[in-house]
Amino acid sequence: MITSDRTDVPALHSLAWLAWALAAAASVQIAPSPLYVAVVVAVCLAVVMVHRRPEPAARAFPVLLGLATTFVAVRVVLTVLTVHGSGGAGVLVRLPQITLPRLLGGFAVGGAVSWSVAWQAAAEGLVVVGVMAAFGAFNAVASPHELLQRVPRAFHEPALVLSVALAFVPATMEAAAAVREADRARTAGQAVRRGRLVRQVVPVLETGLERAVHLAESMDARGFGRAAPAPGEQVAAWVGLAGTLSLGGALVALVGRASTVALLLGGAGLGCLALAVAFASVGWGRSPAYRRRATDRRDRLVALAALAAPVGLVVFDRLGDGSLRWRAALPLRPPTLHAGPVAALLLLAAPLLVAPGGNRGAAPGQEAGR
Amino acid sequence: MSAPVRWRSTTFAYPGGPTVLDGVDLAVDEGDVVLVAGDSGSGKSTLLRSTNGLVPHTSGGRFSGDVMVGERSTRDNRPRDLADVVGFVHQDPEAQFVVDRVEHDLAFSLENLGVDGSTMRRRIEEVLDALGIAHLRHRSPGTLSGGEKQRCAIAGALAAGPAVLVLDEPTSMLDPQGADDVLAAVARLNDDLGTTVVMSEHRFERAAPLCTWSVLLDAGRVARCGPPADVLVDHPGAPPVTHLGRLLGWVPPPLTVRDARAHARRDPTLAGALGEARPGPGQGSGSGAGRGPETAGGSVLVRARGLAVAPGRQVVLSSVDLDVHEGEVVALLGRNGSGKTTLLRALAGLLDPRAGIVQRDAPVAYVPQDPGALLFAPTVRDEVMQTRRLLRRASPTAPGALPRRARRGRASRTVEPGAARADDAALVAAWLDRLGLQALAARHPRTLSTGERQRVAIAAVAVGGAPVLLLDEPTRGIDAASAAALERCILEHAGGAGAVVLATHDVELAARCATRVVVLGDGEVVADGPARTVLAGSLFAPQVLRVLPPFLTVAEVTSALATGAAAPARVAGTPGATAPARVAGPPGATAPARLDGTEPS
Repeated sequence: MITSDRTDVPALHSLAWLAWALAAAASVQIAPSPLYVAVVVAVCLAVVMVHRRPEPAARAFPVLLGLATTFVAVRVVLTVLTVHGSGGAGVLVRLPQITLPRLLGGFAVGGAVSWSVAWQAAAEGLVVVGVMAAFGAFNAVASPHELLQRVPRAFHEPALVLSVALAFVPATMEAAAAVREADRARTAGQAVRRGRLVRQVVPVLETGLERAVHLAESMDARGFGRAAPAPGEQVAAWVGLAGTLSLGGALVALVGRASTVALLLGGAGLGCLALAVAFASVGWGRSPAYRRRATDRRDRLVALAALAAPVGLVVFDRLGDGSLRWRAALPLRPPTLHAGPVAALLLLAAPLLVAPGGNRGAAPGQEAGR
Repeated sequence: MSAPVRWRSTTFAYPGGPTVLDGVDLAVDEGDVVLVAGDSGSGKSTLLRSTNGLVPHTSGGRFSGDVMVGERSTRDNRPRDLADVVGFVHQDPEAQFVVDRVEHDLAFSLENLGVDGSTMRRRIEEVLDALGIAHLRHRSPGTLSGGEKQRCAIAGALAAGPAVLVLDEPTSMLDPQGADDVLAAVARLNDDLGTTVVMSEHRFERAAPLCTWSVLLDAGRVARCGPPADVLVDHPGAPPVTHLGRLLGWVPPPLTVRDARAHARRDPTLAGALGEARPGPGQGSGSGAGRGPETAGGSVLVRARGLAVAPGRQVVLSSVDLDVHEGEVVALLGRNGSGKTTLLRALAGLLDPRAGIVQRDAPVAYVPQDPGALLFAPTVRDEVMQTRRLLRRASPTAPGALPRRARRGRASRTVEPGAARADDAALVAAWLDRLGLQALAARHPRTLSTGERQRVAIAAVAVGGAPVLLLDEPTRGIDAASAAALERCILEHAGGAGAVVLATHDVELAARCATRVVVLGDGEVVADGPARTVLAGSLFAPQVLRVLPPFLTVAEVTSALATGAAAPARVAGTPGATAPARVAGPPGATAPARLDGTEPS
């Protein structure tokens, strides 16, 4: 019997990872001071380094961080151009001021750029980077399939489609690199800028499309979508439609300032949606999924430790710890770091205590050796 | 007993396209392994895809006649409805996985079919064992090798326990090791479970021996069907030993090296007919087989010294020395991951060396393994023309620019800013001709078969006129006609003061057209020398060499027969008996050494 010490099973269950990511994102919101956000981002980086899955999908982490950073940079520039500080002291630079035409909002662009506005925008932007780091890390370490198995059945197929679509992101990144290289090699290393976008985008899109068609055929040949909808799913679809319509009605009522009607419709809509999920998930079932992974003690401990971090931060916030938030008010004071909140944030590093996937003594290793 | 699959006067055309299947009448017997053969565009893929209704349900188009799977017609059953009786595996092992864990991916079809939990567990254990992939169950498909992926994909198709397994060129994207693994698994399935298998393949070396029946398609019709030896005997894609057997009048023609050796041992006239035991020089294939790097007349075009490359963090190549001379065809052999592609990319300047140097005295162009990375134009002619346009736009002062060749008196292959469009058009036409693409010139590159695409990519790169062409797996998944066109083109390019470096798994290709063979192992050069010397000492020697050493190719035997004179004792002896010893023994046994001495250079 061939045995292998290699598995690609993540060390922790996806639900534990989800709890961890939500805790990290929440911590960033509760303690948005740049130094605390930096601690969270560092913890996320360390977790990704230790627990990254071997698949290409996990390579998206730096891309997501880069994307968030770009977004923040753009945001800072736009904020600085459109928000005008109190003027006077702390002016970074004076730009020519233009007032936009009324059609475009009629506000002033440019003018005096103040330090405090720039710092404030950057600090707020860093929170976005922190949230992105938490979810990028989740994407890099957790198995989407384990999560998929836990999704209520009503959402199973849409979630499956979503997870398959996500798998195309790294494939596209690889295709793009190959195409860029092929383009360079075609002309024996001479760079031709003109028309480069077409030359590089068309093959990537076409390759992606071809692969999507192949995958669809393969899924079709393996019986995907074969089962006729169960009666419960049909009922769920109608109830879900009713719920969506009443939520729409509630919105109209809100706009029309009919708050009682809006409240009734909104309640009915939410109720219908909950019913739809229940109908679709309970009974009339297809078979159970194959070997659904159970959460074990380690998963629960890590999840609890991670969730304790935002709880701890809330406690410090209530106790009046002023270091959690930082305002770039004049005169500028640098953000501070207190030991208590840092200790709370370090609870997020609990996954680092768990050996990375594949070396798990228990379940998968034994399974393979049997 | 009814046939598992039966085609009744099936005719099909893709939307807006010509007829692809033309009145196919065919029945597959239970327990058979059927090989569907035919050139590119003969309708192999379409025939296979009609088995479970992908044609016409997914493709659209005009369909008449009927395909019956057991008692069910594909007219009334969509592919998903036939998932329990037909398992379908695609050529591309990448594009078939839905779930990120092998064992859960196997469960995908069972979950769709609504199989209950305990049956599901049992079935998955069974297919894991049937394909020998139990050790991969917790792996993610993205981290597997091509052969492992393809076996997992077959397991995924097999989990539902279908009566028929359809494999559309299952090994064309794989290296020889992976291909062997996959075909061995298929043979075992057929033996143990009696699964009926219908598969298409371009290369019959490996597939033909395990098939019990074969079908030759020609322009959408069944041209012939019967036992593989009878059907495939004169097909260009038949194994070299089959061609050899036909040439020497062996009946029945052998399909395997073992059969061929038995024939060779029994054939009393062979020794006399072969005449001098040395390959005739000069014919198109293997033309330079005796020339080593030291005897190659041409100047060095690319020189690598102490080259080490480490893309990412891992060292892939270390201390590689390689000279590519004018007029050479260098074949890079080596298992997957031995650094062939990395070496090509480093020679092309796409990767920066970590240590050592690559000195390029002439422009170097590179054709990647996947031609899809290159193709973007709406027609084949336009695609090839684009390269000329790009080169004219490129700044002529860029380092390594093509005009350098002009000083060497090759004006027709250079790019000058003012070059007339007419010249380009003529050049494009010449390359289309050379690679047999003229008939496809108005087609969209993406609608072509793998082999045709590969040739378009090569034409599109070669038309730029770079003297050094680096080709990565140029014969992967292409049919015999395409391969032959490609070989002619490679020899012609090298003959015209160029040089070609091929990374390939195809030993036969190396035997037919390489002048020099470089074997890489674990990122280092483990053998470098004239094709004959290196191949003769190899465990993976070409088929003809294993039957009739020291001949490398059928063409060499042909010319030896033509010039046949007195028979030297060695070949007159028992080639079958010496060959195994040589294959197993250390490299450079007597024959190659002797050959080098007698080989005219």
